Amino acid sequence: MSKALDALSRHLGEVVFSVLPSIPYAQKDKDGCSGVAVAAKELSAAARPDGPIAFHAATFEIPCGCRTALIGPNGSGKSTLLRVLAGLTPIHSGEARVAGESPRLGRSRIAYLGQRPHLTELFPLKLRRLIQMGTYAHHGWFEECQHGDEAIDLALARLGLTELAERPVHTLSGGQLQRALIARAVVQGAEILLLDEPYAALDQPSREIIDRFLFEQGHAFTVVMATHDPADLGRFDRILEMRDGTVVTRHACSGHDHRHA
Amino acid sequence: MTIAMLDLLTQPLAEPFFVRALIAIALCGATCACLGAYVVLRRMAFVSTALTHSILPGVIGAILLGFSPYLGALAAALLTAAGAAWLASRRGTSEDSAVGVMLSVMFAAGVALMQQANSWRDFAGLLFGSVLSVGGDDLAVIGATAALVLFGLRALHKELELASFDEEYAALLGARPALMRVVLLVLVALGSVACVRLVGALLTTALFVIPAATGVLLGRTLPQVMAWGAGCALLGGVSGLYLSYYAPAVPSGAGIVLCCALPYLGARLFAPRR
Repeated sequence: MSKALDALSRHLGEVVFSVLPSIPYAQKDKDGCSGVAVAAKELSAAARPDGPIAFHAATFEIPCGCRTALIGPNGSGKSTLLRVLAGLTPIHSGEARVAGESPRLGRSRIAYLGQRPHLTELFPLKLRRLIQMGTYAHHGWFEECQHGDEAIDLALARLGLTELAERPVHTLSGGQLQRALIARAVVQGAEILLLDEPYAALDQPSREIIDRFLFEQGHAFTVVMATHDPADLGRFDRILEMRDGTVVTRHACSGHDHRHA
Repeated sequence: MTIAMLDLLTQPLAEPFFVRALIAIALCGATCACLGAYVVLRRMAFVSTALTHSILPGVIGAILLGFSPYLGALAAALLTAAGAAWLASRRGTSEDSAVGVMLSVMFAAGVALMQQANSWRDFAGLLFGSVLSVGGDDLAVIGATAALVLFGLRALHKELELASFDEEYAALLGARPALMRVVLLVLVALGSVACVRLVGALLTTALFVIPAATGVLLGRTLPQVMAWGAGCALLGGVSGLYLSYYAPAVPSGAGIVLCCALPYLGARLFAPRR
């Protein structure tokens, strides 16, 4: 009975999608990260549209494959800077380039993880479906995602989530959820990860899995991570410090593209 | 015994008006349950109440001016949605209070217009529904609206699901969560216009909220929630019709809503805790 219903609904779905054009969310990105992953010039922005400026005249460059720590006291603008780079908060003045283009909406090569993910509570969704959402970046309007299963399995395995694949999302712990969101970024094919204190609410096992993923993958990603943990900093290639309302580069990585090193 | 019961079930089916009502409530119930899944999960129950109530001035205005009542209803519902969005677009008015303002203003306008039309009795059907008087042309409107809404839900399923679950990620991918909210409001407006003939402006909200709330208790994925909700709406709708057929003291709209509430109560008491 349920199989017949399933087949019927799939068939009806095919009818719907066969009459509609498929339109990508955003124009296709060019291939690969070349040279500079993230650059800002005289950048300033506010956390809220009518709020005070969070930082001003920030100028820095982050090469491809460089793992960058973003440090500074609470309220210094770390979160706002990451949201600006993700295209979620508008720029007040100046310029930001991410993968060579302005950080507008619809960039499939960027993944952003906020401090607390704003997910709708008790939404009926299984973990596998959450991770499948990453493949939407390669689809568009009026298109069904039926493939991508291999990529999803691989991402599940890499982040130690294989056994949880069929679990409802709202039963996951904070650490498991954070790993799931990183897995979604992997499935999305993101090259630039913008992470806002990803360790803030993690248990030790989750932390180790994410650590291994970010720091032992041979510079597969450009990482910009806001962090409060001074013990952490040794592992980063570059440290950006937010101080007195602007950004100071404390320690630059060698400047060439790490992935080709 | 069983034959007597079968007779009780089949006897009304000989009446064309009853068959028309059955088809109408099945179409509307299933459509509103699917749409209602988003209404419930996104906590839009209050907005949907405002849209359904605001149909009142739309229909009466259309009748006074000589338009199709369905067009008037749709225009009024869309006006309410747009008005609430505009009121809430400035800081100082929360969306909640903006919706409350629009709801009461539109409903008051409806009451004032009723006085103009000088006949309260004719509008009782508008307020409380009269599913047993659904005609062939009503059925055509209901069928077309249901098809349009279900088509829209299917075509935008992954975007609506994504925007409802994780608005920020939808924005990051360029899947336009704000636009998806507008799409949902328009679909709810369409759905309420189709239902108002069946259960009335005051009770249409129930068809969006009660079956979908049952679905949320029972389903583990969004399609499951919609399927459970649609099943509950069909069960409640059909039994409500039979109830009002055999107990004429119970108006059909009220009977349908009460019968929809029973599965919800059952699910609330007996569904496994999640």
